[in-house]
Amino acid sequence: MSGERSFALVLLEMTLLVLFGPLVTGTIQKLKARLQSRQGAGFLQPYRDLAKLFRKSTVQADTASGLFRAIPVLVLAATVTAGALVPVVRAGTPSVPIGDALMLLGLLALARFLTAVGALDAGGAFGGMGASREMTIAPLVEPVLMMVVFSTALVAGTTELGALAAHRGTSWIFAWHAADFLGVTAMLVLLPAETGRIPVDNPDTHLELTMLHEGMLLEHSGPGLGCMLLASHTRQIVTLGFVSALFFPIAVNDAGADGSLVGAGAGGFVLGLAAFAVKILVLAIYLALVESSYAKLRLFRVPQYLAIGFVCALTALALRIL
Amino acid sequence: MIPPQPGQQTLLAGVFLIAACYGAGALSSLLARWSGRLALTVGHLAALAGAVTGLGVSLDVLLGDPGSTLTVPLPNFFPFARLSLAVDGLSAYFLFVTSLVAVAATIYGPAYLQAHSPHARPARQAAQVLALNVFLGCMAFVCCAGDAMTFLLCWEGMTLASYVLVVSDDRDGENARAGLLYMVMAHGGTALLLVAFLALTERAGAFDFAALRAAAAGLDGSTRTTLFFLALVGFATKAGVVPLHVWLPRAHPAAPSHVSALMSGVMLKIPIYGMLRFGFDLLAPVAGPLPSSWGWTVLVAGTISAVLGVLYALQQHDLKRLLAFHSVENIGIILIGVGLAMLLWRTGGAGEMLATLALTAALLHTLNHAAFKGLLFLGAGSVLCRTHVRNIEELGGLARRMPWTAGLFLLGAVAISALPPLNGFVSEWLTFQALLGGASRFHGPGGLAIVFSAAMLALTGGLAAACFVKAFGVTFLGRPRTSHAEHATEAPASMIVGMAWLGLACVALGVAPGYAMRLLDAPTAGLLHAPGASAVVTAHGPLVLSVGLTAAGQSATSISMTMLAALLVALAAIAWILRRGSRGTAPQTAPTWTCGMIPTSRFDYTATAFAKPLRLVFAALYRPRREVIRETAATPYVLRRIRYTGEIVDLSETQIYHRVEQGISRLSRTIRVRSTGHIYGYIAFVLGTLFVALLLFGVRRG
Repeated sequence: MSGERSFALVLLEMTLLVLFGPLVTGTIQKLKARLQSRQGAGFLQPYRDLAKLFRKSTVQADTASGLFRAIPVLVLAATVTAGALVPVVRAGTPSVPIGDALMLLGLLALARFLTAVGALDAGGAFGGMGASREMTIAPLVEPVLMMVVFSTALVAGTTELGALAAHRGTSWIFAWHAADFLGVTAMLVLLPAETGRIPVDNPDTHLELTMLHEGMLLEHSGPGLGCMLLASHTRQIVTLGFVSALFFPIAVNDAGADGSLVGAGAGGFVLGLAAFAVKILVLAIYLALVESSYAKLRLFRVPQYLAIGFVCALTALALRIL
Repeated sequence: MIPPQPGQQTLLAGVFLIAACYGAGALSSLLARWSGRLALTVGHLAALAGAVTGLGVSLDVLLGDPGSTLTVPLPNFFPFARLSLAVDGLSAYFLFVTSLVAVAATIYGPAYLQAHSPHARPARQAAQVLALNVFLGCMAFVCCAGDAMTFLLCWEGMTLASYVLVVSDDRDGENARAGLLYMVMAHGGTALLLVAFLALTERAGAFDFAALRAAAAGLDGSTRTTLFFLALVGFATKAGVVPLHVWLPRAHPAAPSHVSALMSGVMLKIPIYGMLRFGFDLLAPVAGPLPSSWGWTVLVAGTISAVLGVLYALQQHDLKRLLAFHSVENIGIILIGVGLAMLLWRTGGAGEMLATLALTAALLHTLNHAAFKGLLFLGAGSVLCRTHVRNIEELGGLARRMPWTAGLFLLGAVAISALPPLNGFVSEWLTFQALLGGASRFHGPGGLAIVFSAAMLALTGGLAAACFVKAFGVTFLGRPRTSHAEHATEAPASMIVGMAWLGLACVALGVAPGYAMRLLDAPTAGLLHAPGASAVVTAHGPLVLSVGLTAAGQSATSISMTMLAALLVALAAIAWILRRGSRGTAPQTAPTWTCGMIPTSRFDYTATAFAKPLRLVFAALYRPRREVIRETAATPYVLRRIRYTGEIVDLSETQIYHRVEQGISRLSRTIRVRSTGHIYGYIAFVLGTLFVALLLFGVRRG
């Protein structure tokens, strides 16, 4: 079987995503602080938090079942596996097939499912509330994400992310159709929902009025909480990488189209990595701007907000097909 | 008359053995004269033997020469019709699905019936054993029927036996009402099937399928389509397609749980077999694609069933009823694949391949749904027999008390929510790919409808996940809410073995689905006369599933569930080490944080509360009714008691069935005015009707 990305490269990219996941969170936090005229914690604060949590011991709810201890492990594993499906430094199909865009969404859904199950395990109202709200928003987000994937997959004839990125070509924005602009708009509307940020969720608090994701983590502690936080950092960078692979495969593609560039040496690798960093940074700035300029929506306003994304995605699809 | 075929002897022996096992099982109900328990055990063991033989026979056919049909003549019972069995790939595949779940159900059954109703009278046990064996036998032979007569007889036997099982469980009024509704709906459907079959047999002058096929070749387009829709509605009634599903959520939960597993997991698939047999085989035009109205109807009905099924499931608090509504959803998902295959079949180019892909997705989902829905119903049965409570609001905390049941139920929940790495994801992935391929072939509104159907399928998956977080979380996690749940103990070993069998099937079909494609080769290739499943899906070896959406297929999408599972396990091992932390000490336990109050089970989130946000989001569909009665003390600020009642209405019940019922009532009131009570009046009516009928008939013939 032929493929442009070797299995070692896929694993390397996956590891990079896990390592740099917390940095993205730190960057967004810092940007938010500066935008709100605060000093804010350093870029590396999420790493310090993780290191602290992994050194701590665990306190567990006395009502929790044996499943509770396995939840952080499974959530982290599912999220990191999703990371293996995102092309980072170069486009093209992997030589060892693992999964496609639908699989990526499935793995993220698996992580969410398990997180929600874990939240109900402790038997507190907060966990249940968080799980209920998260599982209300998620079914509304997933179809729209799926439709955005379809709107690009219909042209490329594949749902494999690396192949989609390769298909989009180097002259990405100049070759965009109206459908692509609508697809990006839908994606940008959904991005705060998928990464758990304002106006859908608020990552900074787990007060009962705002909590979705954070409410579900309330009963986890120590290394378990560390795993859950690492999973949510990874989930964020995976989602951002997913968007950039679908719509902005710049530099990734330069490398992929001409196999020798990356295949040969470190130059292409560094170029791809730098391009990826820039793309993630742009999306991070977007998220920080949105978070600083909007208020959290009421829970029952969220479906209306997501409907904007749905209409954009549906129109994008209609433009592709009609 | 019939040329001897290779394999016919083995098949004959196998079929005879299946019939003998189920027959012996049915006869063993006579043992109940001495001991009801003995009858239960022997009857279920005989059924188990029948199911295992069924597995063997079906595997023998499926792995044998694809495309061949083996025919077995049966002894003559009727002077006007020769009964026969005809086993081809499609029959064998559905026999396989039936037998797979039957193995689990028969292992599970005796212990369940003992534990659930230990003081049952021997007569009831005898009836259950008899009905179960007849039910299983009829399901096995309805798929293998070689003529209309055998098909209809077995079909009717299946309905009657399952009716007996539905009303056998308890003698309360609700079960009887559920059974009655089931009988009425099932026979309404059978009546339509009968018309469709008789219209064909009249033309053919014979009952066997080969003759019907030949007769159907000469039909004109509109007759063909009329017959197809008659059969489709007949089958859809039995399959529980919205809006013909109203009997399903009442009848399925009423039966004993292992029978519920069989009814949801297998009996609903028999109509799917019928639709495929009618659509692609008996009624299919000699050449050229099927009429497009067939495929679109099935696709749209499937999409509506999928979405409405899961939406109503979300608001159910009765565990078995919730699962029954999920069957409506999953039948919808299967029909999406079937409809798409009908649309794409014989359309040329990549259409051939895509039709195979769509049919593969539908058939694989049939098998997958049988495995996970069977598992979930058996899990619900274990909960039921240990707690005697079906309302999940009264459960909770069972994961600590019934760890095996909880673990296996969670496995089934992940599978049915279409999450990787289990089997539900595989068949939905194939359905998505088929939809995407179909959309790129239909430009214009058709393509948009197909993509919209894909989006609805995604919505269905997300809602199913929400529903099973609720079902699993409220039933098994947190604190027990009542003493029923508090004193529950683990189910007997044989029940766990039955569940584990289906759990194993879920994992195997999820992690290595490529090997299951071998089983799908014979049904897909035989039915569509096109490349089989493994040629389309596992072209790159059994560990990789790959599909090409375009004619050239150059940019194919490949996934490997095996690789994915391996990666997940490896990463989970690494995460486990991380999770242990640097200290490696055992975790301390502390009460759950409840804002400083003493935690009780009242703090646990209830199912009603969990589903509330979605109830409000989809309020237009649910039309929720809600009533809160407050009893206050002297001032309105001191509450003494608060009473909440909420209800969800099924739109098809209020909008269709109630109206039909009102219409019938109005009509009968009108007729009652005309009824004089004199016998001469009625004779006059009958004669008048006869006269008019003769006149009409004569005019048409004349």
